[in-house]
Amino acid sequence: MTFSPENPLSAEPEIETSHAEEFVEQLRCVTDTLPSRINIDAQSVEQGLAKLVLTLIEFIRRLLEKQAVRRMEGGDLSPEQIEELGLALMRLEGKLQELKSQFGLTDEDLNLDLGPIGRLI
Amino acid sequence: MADFDHAIITEEWDNTDVSLLETLDHVLNRGLVIAGEITIAVAAIDLIFVGLNVMVSSVETAREVLRRREME
Amino acid sequence: MKLYAYCLAADLDTLGDSPPGISGAPVRLLKIDDLAVLVSHAEIDAVPVTRNNALAHAAVVRSVLDQTTPLPFRFGSLVTEQQLRSYISNRKPALEKKLAHVRGCVEMSVKIIWQLPEDGNNQLQEIPVAEPQGAGATFLADKRRQLLGDERRAAQAAEIAAWLSETVSDLTRDEQVTVRSSERLVLSAAHLVERAQLRHYREKIGEARENRPELHFLTSGPWPPYSFANIELEFKTQFGVS
Repeated sequence: MTFSPENPLSAEPEIETSHAEEFVEQLRCVTDTLPSRINIDAQSVEQGLAKLVLTLIEFIRRLLEKQAVRRMEGGDLSPEQIEELGLALMRLEGKLQELKSQFGLTDEDLNLDLGPIGRLI
Repeated sequence: MADFDHAIITEEWDNTDVSLLETLDHVLNRGLVIAGEITIAVAAIDLIFVGLNVMVSSVETAREVLRRREME
Repeated sequence: MKLYAYCLAADLDTLGDSPPGISGAPVRLLKIDDLAVLVSHAEIDAVPVTRNNALAHAAVVRSVLDQTTPLPFRFGSLVTEQQLRSYISNRKPALEKKLAHVRGCVEMSVKIIWQLPEDGNNQLQEIPVAEPQGAGATFLADKRRQLLGDERRAAQAAEIAAWLSETVSDLTRDEQVTVRSSERLVLSAAHLVERAQLRHYREKIGEARENRPELHFLTSGPWPPYSFANIELEFKTQFGVS
């Protein structure tokens, strides 16, 4: 198979954009999320597990919120039920916030990147 | 202290230009992976498993070393 | 003895001049059955992610692109020869299928940044609520507003992805697209393009850029098919938690 000499493929890939600054800002997350040395002290192991667990809980919490909103929109909840549901979810959100700050985790930390399918949240 | 990952950061990444970041995006995030068996086949779940697998193995490895350390 | 593996290829018997590899080590060709793996000697426990190493990895994989389309390994693939051999013999059919899939192609990248659409509250139908509204009900009403905003954004992002796919569908053999409607980098696409179609593909992308001036594009390529190499992960559609 022969290739056009004016575009030898083994040359550097061309990168073309009129907005380099913006893309640098966005692509920095590639290097920002690389792990630095993995700390093996107990605290970091705990943190790793906490991240996992909290991410899953957060995921479920958001699903619950969506469920609740759908049901509210669907009109099959009484005002009392809406109020109760809302309060419960509000407390759940507050609890999650507390846990996150206890472990020093931000919303960014909990947003697991699943590669081609995107972020978890 | 041993490094567990095959890739570790050893330098600062200030002033990175777009073309380097694009290159990194390709070589770091994609490509054939030799280590790491992914065996769950259920369609919806295996995708989440991929992410967790990577995290879990890092934590597991860490615990392993902690454990070994304690035994010394 | 440890090796650093760069890429795997069929139809590759000799290595011409290869650029130096990780930490300047010379690169050689290792034949395993009828497949070839580019490797270099690496007696280290971990590969430092330095600018030079990343560029070296990319350069080595790219250097065979004129002769064949390889399957690139991810950066940091440290193995023994034995591990490499078992890996290949255990996955021969899948690897050959991938090699056939990418044969004669290169990867082109498109990334798009948008101005995140504002949460417009004006189009909402308010649900009649009995006054006075308690804290719980207010909470849910706010969430509803947020969710509707998210949904709208997701639909707009999906539209951009569909539009891009449509634009180049005739020229691509495959694509890997990531859509993130809550971020400025809304779309990241990898297109598997046959070499003969490259010029046409570039023209199409150029037109597309001009048709959507409100979107900011970053295009790059040609790359070896990093995004189409992995045999463990076979998803093609984009997912989002909606």
